[in-house]
Amino acid sequence: MINELKQKLLANFNDVQVNIPEDNRMTVNTKKESLLSLVSYLKNMGYNHFAMLSCVDWIDDKEFELIYIISAYPQDDEHYQDKEKKNILLKTRISRVKAKFITIISIFENAEPYEREIHEMFGIHFEGHPRLTPLMLERDYKIPPFRKDFDTNKYVENTFGKVPSIKERKEGKK
Amino acid sequence: MNIIALFVSPLIALIAGMFFLGLSRKISARIQWRYGPPIYQPVIDVIRSFSQKSITHGKFFDFGIILSLSSSFVLILFLPIGKLCALTSGGLIAFLYLMLMGPFGIALSGAAAANPNSSIGISRKFLLALAYEVPLLLVLLTVMTHYHTISLVEIVNIQANSGWAFGSWALILPGIAYLLILPAILGMRPFEVVGAAQEISSGPIAEFGGKHLAFYTLQHALHVFVGIALFVDIFLGGWTFFGLLNPLAGTVWAVIFGIIIFLLKMTLVLFIGLFVNAVYPRFRIEQAMQYLWKWPTLISFVGLIIVVLTK
Amino acid sequence: MDRNQIGKWLKNPGKMANKYSFHVVYFCTGCGIIEVPPSITTRWDAERFGIIPVATPRQANLFLITGYVSTKTLAAIIRTYEQMPEPKYTVAFGSCPINGGMYYDSYNTITSLDKYIPVDGYIAGCMPRPEAIFIGVTHLWKLIDMDKADGYKRYREDYVHYRANQEQILGELDWPPLFSKENL
Repeated sequence: MINELKQKLLANFNDVQVNIPEDNRMTVNTKKESLLSLVSYLKNMGYNHFAMLSCVDWIDDKEFELIYIISAYPQDDEHYQDKEKKNILLKTRISRVKAKFITIISIFENAEPYEREIHEMFGIHFEGHPRLTPLMLERDYKIPPFRKDFDTNKYVENTFGKVPSIKERKEGKK
Repeated sequence: MNIIALFVSPLIALIAGMFFLGLSRKISARIQWRYGPPIYQPVIDVIRSFSQKSITHGKFFDFGIILSLSSSFVLILFLPIGKLCALTSGGLIAFLYLMLMGPFGIALSGAAAANPNSSIGISRKFLLALAYEVPLLLVLLTVMTHYHTISLVEIVNIQANSGWAFGSWALILPGIAYLLILPAILGMRPFEVVGAAQEISSGPIAEFGGKHLAFYTLQHALHVFVGIALFVDIFLGGWTFFGLLNPLAGTVWAVIFGIIIFLLKMTLVLFIGLFVNAVYPRFRIEQAMQYLWKWPTLISFVGLIIVVLTK
Repeated sequence: MDRNQIGKWLKNPGKMANKYSFHVVYFCTGCGIIEVPPSITTRWDAERFGIIPVATPRQANLFLITGYVSTKTLAAIIRTYEQMPEPKYTVAFGSCPINGGMYYDSYNTITSLDKYIPVDGYIAGCMPRPEAIFIGVTHLWKLIDMDKADGYKRYREDYVHYRANQEQILGELDWPPLFSKENL
């Protein structure tokens, strides 16, 4: 089943590298231009559950790697088992400088909060996203906090460490 | 006699009500295999609440809880506790009117607090009152028809001569119906929809703190006392116990032992409520209304028809 | 009831009642809350000491913060603390509110709670066992006896400084000051 899909993908797309590290899991490395068509192709093939969008910061390569996890459930099987679930990891790399990419909301609507989160934590701008407002964080960070060049120790020292204790503040005032 | 009753009966009701609250916490704990708090724990809670600073949300917030507490005290005066009854006139009709004043006062306070949880709790409280008032009215109507009187004292006295109402075949159906709605009157599970702590942050009392909470606890104690005492007075014959007090008739000892017998009977009824409370989960409000308008109403209606036909 | 305590009860009933009737707001910020259900149910039964959970801060007098405090939760903690009626006591549970714990270098978690609200006692550990809650409570009893659990008094006295610290982290606060100059 999953080998058939591998053959189909290799036949239909030029620039994909397909690995099957274990049963029911497949990683597809692709160029960023062909990702959107690949996602919609997989959706038509029955892989209609967009599970997660993740991101890796490869700081030495000056690239971000976006990972789209898409899975399918056997529809004709009444006694569904978890090991029969098929996962596909779509990996693509984008430039780290002025990082931007295209949204996949038109294909999977539930990608919206994931893209908002990635925008918030890594600073990747998704073109066509309706609202890239802060999702979880309330503070302003000059560098988005999940990037590798964000120094947490230094940040904590400069913000939370700079808050004086009440005793110090009392003495400082007097 | 009446003057003494005026002061003594609210005091007895308050002490017994607090004792019942403590007892219910202790018994629930024992059912759950816990050691449980000391029996005087509600008293400590009330003292603590009085010692705390209270925050008010306006005049109606203060007025509502005071109205609720004072109307509960007035309600006690209409209730024969053993042989003690301060206001013998009025009877069940006045009793029914005053019984709604307690929830009404708390609703007034909760509405003034303007907390959304309070609003939900109040709407549930009135819906639940609406649900249990129908069978309660039918039950009381049956009793009044059967005994040809609206006076609670007379109902108790008739039972002293002719045996408990719960034992007579004509009034057993209304008795069962009252037992079915008793958890709803006391606000216990499965009808704990009003003060659902996990669901709507304890409902109408969500904004109560300090003295308001203390007043609410006192009012709740009185409410529990009234709900059970009404059942004991109407169906279990009040102070009577198979002619046990006949030799003492006319003395002070008869009054004192009458009160003790009355309280023992109340404890027994409370235990039934507590066991139901310990094992059942909570109804949703519409399930509670469906239940209350179906079974207790049906049973009490059949009881009313039987009593009317046989009279 | 211990007979030796009757004198204390008559002398200062409010203080003694505060000791033996802790109505607790369990603030479930992190993993620490998993230790609370066993401690209030059958196995450890906190109710025998008068400790029961309540649903709203208005009815409470003990504030138990179980776990790490992110900046967003800090605002909720401050508001909850300010809604509780006095006298009120705060206990921080676990090592995260003490010095940040394993989140010491997190970009979004404050390191020590007592810079923002007064804390009367700490229960250290990661995680403390439920027994530690009871030990903490008995220590709090001693502190109340000696009038050393005075967090709410310190908050009233040093409100300006606490508010300044809160504003340094949270920016402009969207609620008015609890104590203005008139009611200090």
